[in-house]
Amino acid sequence: MNNIAHSFKVKIYGLQEYSLMLVDIFKGLSKFWRTWSDAVNEMYWIGARAFLPVLLGGIFVGIILALETGHQLDHFGAKTLVGRTVSLGMIRELGPVITGLLLAARTGAKNASELGAMQISEQIDALRAFGTSPVEKLVIPRTIAAVVMFLPLTAIADMSGILSGMIVTKLSLNVDTSFFWHSALSALLMKDIFVGFIKPFFFAFFISTISCYYGFSTRGGTVALGKTVINAVVVSSLIVLVLDFIFTKVVWELL
Amino acid sequence: MIEISKVNLELGEKVILKDISLSINKGEIAIILGPSGAGKSSILKIILGLWQPDSGKVYVDGTNITGMSEAEILPIRSKMGIVFQANALFDSLNVEDNVSYFLKEHSKLNSDKIKEKVAEILSFVNLQGTEKICIDQLSGGMKKRVAIARALSFDPDIILYDEPTTGLDPINSKSILDLIKRVSNRGATSIVVTHILNDAISIGDTLSVINEGKVVQTGTVHDMLNSGNQFVKDFFYEVYQDAALLKK
Repeated sequence: MNNIAHSFKVKIYGLQEYSLMLVDIFKGLSKFWRTWSDAVNEMYWIGARAFLPVLLGGIFVGIILALETGHQLDHFGAKTLVGRTVSLGMIRELGPVITGLLLAARTGAKNASELGAMQISEQIDALRAFGTSPVEKLVIPRTIAAVVMFLPLTAIADMSGILSGMIVTKLSLNVDTSFFWHSALSALLMKDIFVGFIKPFFFAFFISTISCYYGFSTRGGTVALGKTVINAVVVSSLIVLVLDFIFTKVVWELL
Repeated sequence: MIEISKVNLELGEKVILKDISLSINKGEIAIILGPSGAGKSSILKIILGLWQPDSGKVYVDGTNITGMSEAEILPIRSKMGIVFQANALFDSLNVEDNVSYFLKEHSKLNSDKIKEKVAEILSFVNLQGTEKICIDQLSGGMKKRVAIARALSFDPDIILYDEPTTGLDPINSKSILDLIKRVSNRGATSIVVTHILNDAISIGDTLSVINEGKVVQTGTVHDMLNSGNQFVKDFFYEVYQDAALLKK
């Protein structure tokens, strides 16, 4: 019982610390210009270097979506509607979620391990000792870079998924590409695009801040660093799914 | 002058410091000596304001720094340089960028002046010409010198050293101790945390022996050697042993 109470207390304390870090992030945004070069560097690592995994992720999800739904729709003589399911599925749900999960693993692991190693080697204390806020120097550039880069990456996942879905529909189900595009575009509404492209901002913000928080909270040695990275990736991935549910259930119904 | 008054610190359920009081005079080399895990490094972090004590007060040049925010404490921190136990050098930067970090962030010097200053400090720590070398290409002794150079870069009045010779070979240890003395001769107050008795005796003006978060005794080397406290006697047994050997 005591262990449960202690564990609960630790979780509440962690939540408090994370909330205080978020306050520091918003306070420090006005000084962002001082670390813009760090943000540009992070954009390269978070964005440009993630291009290939996101592209491949989008391609394979698009292929699977087209094959699975195409064969089911074929039973009802409605295989020309594959374009509709692929475009809606990719833009509203799978594009942002696949990008979010891939980047939760990639960016989350990078942030947590880098900041965790800096914490263990006292570099975070050194920054504070030399008058630099670790949040302003390390968290804000990473978060801004993630927020900026997640949107184009999601667009890449969406487009590669739809294009691969189109190709596989043509080759496997013999549906003409013009039917595919007509079905895909006629089903898409402005609110689908809006919801699909607002999600990455939130995913990016939470993946980046959560993984940085875990990095800062690392205590101990290499074993602790391993646990930090695992926790950061797992929690970031779960947050992507929870936020996706919130957007799908709540925001979608409100619009 | 630094004064620590009745400071207590707990981390989680572990008591780190118990009612610690210390006074360090301007210009002296004060040694905080004790076994590993005694709470020595915690004292440095409290002096620097990186950690806040649960109770008690810390005065730096007459200013009580306990309870200060990060922004309030910045002018106080700019009087203090620190050499961390594991050096804490920024491994993504080269030697020059590490040493010039504070100057680039907080001074109004132009880049030429900063380069000049870095070259002068690196020369002082016998590392001239190493500006462009990456941190991971340096030996342990060189890293320690870069850490000292970084701490000296903004001419602080107080320099804190956390276990400056731990992990170094005897020759490098001696050169680091000589360097600490040379820095002290420039007028800076030095606070050295160590568990190595020889280091403490060779450079310390005053010694404070710490055990299990408490100050056991404060005084000169002479006071320690004549101490009636059993822990101090045990800690200094090597010196007694050496003296006995010399007598023989």
